[in-house]
Amino acid sequence: MRVVDLKGSLKLPKINVDRRDALVAVLAAAAVISIAFCGWTLFIDYTETSRVAAFSRHVAASEADLFLLSGNISSHMRSRPGHPSIAECDAWMRELGALADYGRGLTSYHRQVIAADVVPEAYTGSQSAYTRALDNLNRAFSLWSSAAGAYHTGAYTAANNNLAGADRAWKDYITAISDYDRELRRAEEGEEG
Amino acid sequence: MEWKDVFPVLAGGLVILVIALVVKPALLAEPVSGPGPAKPVYVPPTPVPAATPFPEEGAAYTRNFRWTAIDGGVHTTEVRVPEALFAEHRNTPRLNDPLAWGRYALAEEDRPVLEDLARRIAPPTGNPEAEYFGLMNLIFFVQQVPYAHDNSAESYTEGVLPHYAVRRGADAEYPRYPTEMLVDGEGDCEDSAILMAGLLDALDYDTVLLRYPDHMALGIRMEGFSPYYAKYTPKYFDYGGKRYYYVEGTDFAWVNVSTDSTARQGKPLPIGDTGSTGIQSVKSQTPEIIPLRYIPAPAEYRIRPARLPAGGA
Repeated sequence: MRVVDLKGSLKLPKINVDRRDALVAVLAAAAVISIAFCGWTLFIDYTETSRVAAFSRHVAASEADLFLLSGNISSHMRSRPGHPSIAECDAWMRELGALADYGRGLTSYHRQVIAADVVPEAYTGSQSAYTRALDNLNRAFSLWSSAAGAYHTGAYTAANNNLAGADRAWKDYITAISDYDRELRRAEEGEEG
Repeated sequence: MEWKDVFPVLAGGLVILVIALVVKPALLAEPVSGPGPAKPVYVPPTPVPAATPFPEEGAAYTRNFRWTAIDGGVHTTEVRVPEALFAEHRNTPRLNDPLAWGRYALAEEDRPVLEDLARRIAPPTGNPEAEYFGLMNLIFFVQQVPYAHDNSAESYTEGVLPHYAVRRGADAEYPRYPTEMLVDGEGDCEDSAILMAGLLDALDYDTVLLRYPDHMALGIRMEGFSPYYAKYTPKYFDYGGKRYYYVEGTDFAWVNVSTDSTARQGKPLPIGDTGSTGIQSVKSQTPEIIPLRYIPAPAEYRIRPARLPAGGA
């Protein structure tokens, strides 16, 4: 019986590498690594830019809607009749209630959209401040709505209390918007630096 | 290895770059997370139809009033209130919050009755002196409507406390619409203040309710009120940049209207006189001022602009 003896026959083939081939291989590997590195860097940069752009678009949409609403609210405030009948007082409060309900829905909607944005770490502070601002506005509009409801049941003291709470929420909103501006500046200056 | 072997590697790298930088961001520009939240739309409030006025004809309560005017003359007048209007008021729940009691004075349904009565007692003349006497005549009319407590069944036409009277132990609270007080022919401090406010508002006088812990009176807006006959310093309160003088609605003599009634005869008091009322809180305290037309409005309502992140829309 024959036994194959591999010890002697298994040998790696001898590769003849000339210098030119070795140089080409090294250059090719370097090119692939460079392309991969540049691609990855560009990809990360592009992704962050597009995320900031998406965040910015959402803030812009929120601001546009809020300013339209703000215009309607201001014109409603100016329309307060000087010597109204009870029916006119009631109609004014019904309109305030409708604006409050719309404001509540609008702030809730934009809050959801902006909170869902995936932003670069540098922008999380401004995103958080903006959503907090929207939360405070939402609370203010909810209290307006409650005030209108209380008014229509003749509970004027409760309506006043709700409006006082809304004024406080509105001040919190102003503070949060200042925080947002500060955080945004910090993020953008950090980027430039 | 030759150059031709390197090209596929470089081409593969470029394809990866194109996919990473162009295709993927284009596909994933917006997060793919199914349908997002629905954007709300503004829903304007539904207009409420105006109240249908009560017909002049038909069943009505007729009440006669007699009072002494500022010139010492005795006046009489008759008031007619539709029964349907009175019944509707009686079947309306009361407002517990006194801040809302101006609604009673300005009730649209009562307006025709009040305008008619106010113009008969104080007909517009265009002469300031005559206007002032008309005003005082109207105030004296209300002041001399007999005083009765809310918890007294006698003070109601039906002889029982209304269904919506709010009972507080032995006491009761039932702010009346002006026409209810006219039909009942008596009432307590807030009823008189409300009736007086309704009548004066029908003549375009600017009035407020003055609320003390144990009393309610009226404030009437006047400028430079300083009658030559006053032997007192007229009491006033400033509110919203306007000056309102105190007007008592229910001062009464300690004399019952009749032997079979506990209601007390009302007594006239001039504008601004708080010293003669005998009510301690009126003499020493500052009242809460309740405007008849009350629109609670927020102080803060302006949206602040927020800067957009650079590279945005």
